[in-house]
Amino acid sequence: MRTARTRRTGIVALGCTVLTATALLSGCGSSSGGSSANGGGKITLTIDLFGTFGYKEAGLYAEYEKLHPNIVIKETDTENEADYWQALQTHLAADSGLGDIQGVEVGRIATVVRQEASDFTDLNTLGASSVTRNFLPWKIKVATTPSGAVLGLGTDIGPEAICYRSDLLKQAGLPTDRAALAQKWSTWTGYVGLGKQYQAHAPAHSAWTDSATGLFTAMTGQQAVRYYDQSGKPVYGSNPLVKSAWDTSVEAARAGITAKLTQWSPQWNQAFSTGAFATLPCPAWMTGYIKGQAGAAGKGRWDIAPGPGATGNWGGSYLAIPKTSPHQKQAYDLIAWLTAKDQQVTLFEKEGNFPSNTQAIGAVQNYTDPYFNNAPVGQIFGDSAKNMPVQVLGVHDGDVNTALTNALSEVEQKGVSPQQAWQNAMNNIANAVAQ
Amino acid sequence: MTQTATPPRFTVGPQRRGAGHVRRRGRWDVKYSPYAFVAPFFVLFAAFGLFPLIYTAYISLYRVELTDPGQRVWAGLGNYAGLLHDPFFWNALRNTFTIGAISTIPQLLMALGLAHLLNYRLRGRTFFRVAMMMPYATSVAAATLVFAQLFGRDYGLINWALGLVGVHRIDWQNGTWASQVGISTIVTWRWTGYNALIYLAGMQSIPAELYESAAIDGASRWQQFRHVTIRGLRPTIIFTVIVSTIGATQLFGEPLLYEGGTRGPSGGVSHQYQTLGLYLYDQGWSFFHLGRAAAVAWVMFLIIVVLVTLNTGIARLRSCDERALGRKGRALR
Amino acid sequence: MTAATLTARLRRTRQARRAAAPGARHLRPGWLAYTVLIAATAVFAFPFYWTVVAATQPNTAINAVPPALLPGGRLTGNIKEVLAETDLGKALLNSLIVAGSVTVGTVLCSTLAGFAFAKLRFRGRHALLALTIGTMMIPPQLGVIPLFIVIAKLHWVNQLQSVILPTLVSAFGVFFMRQYLLQALPDELVEAGRVDGASLLRIFLRIVLPVARPGMAVLGMLTFMAAWNDFFWPVIALTGDNPTVQVALNALGNGYVHDQSVILTGALLGTLPVLLVFTLLGRQIVSGIVQGSVKG
Repeated sequence: MRTARTRRTGIVALGCTVLTATALLSGCGSSSGGSSANGGGKITLTIDLFGTFGYKEAGLYAEYEKLHPNIVIKETDTENEADYWQALQTHLAADSGLGDIQGVEVGRIATVVRQEASDFTDLNTLGASSVTRNFLPWKIKVATTPSGAVLGLGTDIGPEAICYRSDLLKQAGLPTDRAALAQKWSTWTGYVGLGKQYQAHAPAHSAWTDSATGLFTAMTGQQAVRYYDQSGKPVYGSNPLVKSAWDTSVEAARAGITAKLTQWSPQWNQAFSTGAFATLPCPAWMTGYIKGQAGAAGKGRWDIAPGPGATGNWGGSYLAIPKTSPHQKQAYDLIAWLTAKDQQVTLFEKEGNFPSNTQAIGAVQNYTDPYFNNAPVGQIFGDSAKNMPVQVLGVHDGDVNTALTNALSEVEQKGVSPQQAWQNAMNNIANAVAQ
Repeated sequence: MTQTATPPRFTVGPQRRGAGHVRRRGRWDVKYSPYAFVAPFFVLFAAFGLFPLIYTAYISLYRVELTDPGQRVWAGLGNYAGLLHDPFFWNALRNTFTIGAISTIPQLLMALGLAHLLNYRLRGRTFFRVAMMMPYATSVAAATLVFAQLFGRDYGLINWALGLVGVHRIDWQNGTWASQVGISTIVTWRWTGYNALIYLAGMQSIPAELYESAAIDGASRWQQFRHVTIRGLRPTIIFTVIVSTIGATQLFGEPLLYEGGTRGPSGGVSHQYQTLGLYLYDQGWSFFHLGRAAAVAWVMFLIIVVLVTLNTGIARLRSCDERALGRKGRALR
Repeated sequence: MTAATLTARLRRTRQARRAAAPGARHLRPGWLAYTVLIAATAVFAFPFYWTVVAATQPNTAINAVPPALLPGGRLTGNIKEVLAETDLGKALLNSLIVAGSVTVGTVLCSTLAGFAFAKLRFRGRHALLALTIGTMMIPPQLGVIPLFIVIAKLHWVNQLQSVILPTLVSAFGVFFMRQYLLQALPDELVEAGRVDGASLLRIFLRIVLPVARPGMAVLGMLTFMAAWNDFFWPVIALTGDNPTVQVALNALGNGYVHDQSVILTGALLGTLPVLLVFTLLGRQIVSGIVQGSVKG
């Protein structure tokens, strides 16, 4: 009795410490995450992505594993890019926990090229020099360091057009024909002007476009030099193109032709089915978004026409290989395959992600989308991609864009004066980029 | 009966006790066992708490970017000085205080009231107690969506209801006060049941005799609540006040998710609800200014130390009992 | 003899407490109390109810104006999509291991340390208590980087202990148990144990634990929920294919279209087990709180 009790007290007393110690010991011997070669001589490749790629959904991994029986692919996916990027930065800082392949969004690629080039493999050393010419030139260029190292292969791009609700335009007495509309809104001034016409005869609770910020992002997506110049010097405050995009967006906001929505917010999602706006600047991937939010009820109501300037880029991604990966060659073979023509064609037709591979762009040339009233999306987005400028991307592009679009929302949603809002944006940017 | 034989114990002074009661073989036990009791916590803390703390202090003295943590430039107190001249920092500090005040005070009062009700002999008490845990169990994704829809400007349920009574549509996202009230609502929703359960656990340990004798003395139910329940709960109340103060100062998740996560850590288009926690996150993870973010962390730390000291100081002044707890009173020799 | 005295004292205390139980609650609640509680329950449970609605509807029905307010028939379809996108079974098992270990460890460590801080006198206890409360004040967001460096040095990335052990450092738990025991544990009981010559460990096991049980139950519930829903740190510490529920849910509804009904179906599947456990065991746990002291 006595001994039993003593033993029991001892066990409980040491419980915590033992628990700790066991975990400490068991952890020290085992290997870290990432890739590994398992018993059957198979190589496991880990691919670490955020929510936009669609490889698994399109069955591409299964196909690749069938073609390469010694490869097993494990994908980790994070829905929110901001969460993903934060985790990636932490992993890079600690040099641990990285996948064999990491996805990089176009808005982040300049940071990788300028500041983290030493963490990623130059894909030319793995044979990328033979495939880089297959991509749109600018796509590869912004992923290339000044010394010529290619740090990522392109997945999709976001060529711009305008998506519109033909039923609402008709109610307001406007044309619904693609060619006629493209002609009327061949410039952004024309787009805003047509918006004022729409607003005068619009159905109740319906605005011309969703937000001033979408307008602004689409406009700046067409500029070769926007926030930074070729030498990497910030010009966001002085660039007349940025200022003119700002002024046009402010004009739209103050004319009351925007629905004053915040993009990606739940209210914005709701508005796709309520008809709160009739048109929106529309990168290729937005077509998938519209289908998801407006659902079957929206089929046939939506259409797509070439937008002002008939070009511009908004979004798109890269695949890169961290230097920590022990399977450099195998990882490269996989990303080369995933970004090759056939796979990019599959992704466009299944997921709406427009190819960055020129051969694939040619192959989807004649693709039409029944949801959007059989609009020739392959051709519209293809033309838009063809005219795309080589955009100079800066390290703080994302921060600058956030500050400017927030300021636009202040004008649009809070009625702050444009001068004050611009000043707020400049203060915010200074705060963000300050060393 | 030990308890009825002595006066109510939270007014008891140091108990009669002497070295004679402690047997010789217990000396070692009494002297060193307490350290064994606290050791597991502090071993873990040393491994996973202390290093991050020191590292943060060290980093706050450098200019260092998250994208290149190897590159450090000595900045001395430059990061701290920079904060004092940063209007965004002062804005975040102000927001933290206002949101903290409008969320914490009603939250704790309501929790106290709910705990009191839950302490009754209720039908279906398990049901009600599990219900108190619901906000804590609901996933963040679901809560975010629901509140974003409730507070929607155009189609939101709250604005719709306000419209019925003739109140004009409120912009819950862009208005400074409106957005702060909205966030405080979420905070209150999430933590009221939590605190109510903590109070309830405390109320259970208040002996019935105290209520009985109070009732015999002719105390009304309200007087019983004030003089027996509240006094008996004092350590628990101090606990929740301190924890809520800390929580309010570190407030992060609710404002981050307020507009469905679309604003990120900027806290609204004009930073109208950016708290210190969001400001820290903005500096560290949006702008990658690790050194500055570390400085913010330490400033937050100091603010909390001051607030908690004030809290306990006030509590101590108001309670002679607390003094007894503090030094000699309950300690066992 | 000493043991007998001790047990007798303890039994008397328990009897007193059990007798006391209805005392504080001698009054039956009126309809007003029920009304307030039912209203509070509705407010607390509404987002969960809405999760159920969303999980049984297609995405477009949630985004409709007004949104769907009653459950629909799409549950199985949504569940299929969730299972196609994540390995929820493994995630649930991992979460159970993580939250279970964290709860057991936290409650044990906290009760031990909380008892020492509340009722024992030892050199440096004020400083140590201040240090404990101090650790609560560290903003958690910034600790992430140094903490990850520790984990990486230990080669724990993507292993469950990388999520379990740092979470065990619960200053909150220690402080909570200290305050609870300060109030709930009469000095005389501990004193009696000392007089009878029991070791501190025995006093802890025989006297402190039974009294601490309601506090431990509450701490355990709160800890389990917090560990189950923890998100910020696991997303960083666990990569690859070893997710907890929250990490798995993070990958749901991916694509440019955030399919909220699929996300919320995942959230429902992830929350349901916890709620079930608490509803089923809730009677025991909660009645532990009610009785003031559970049969030892």
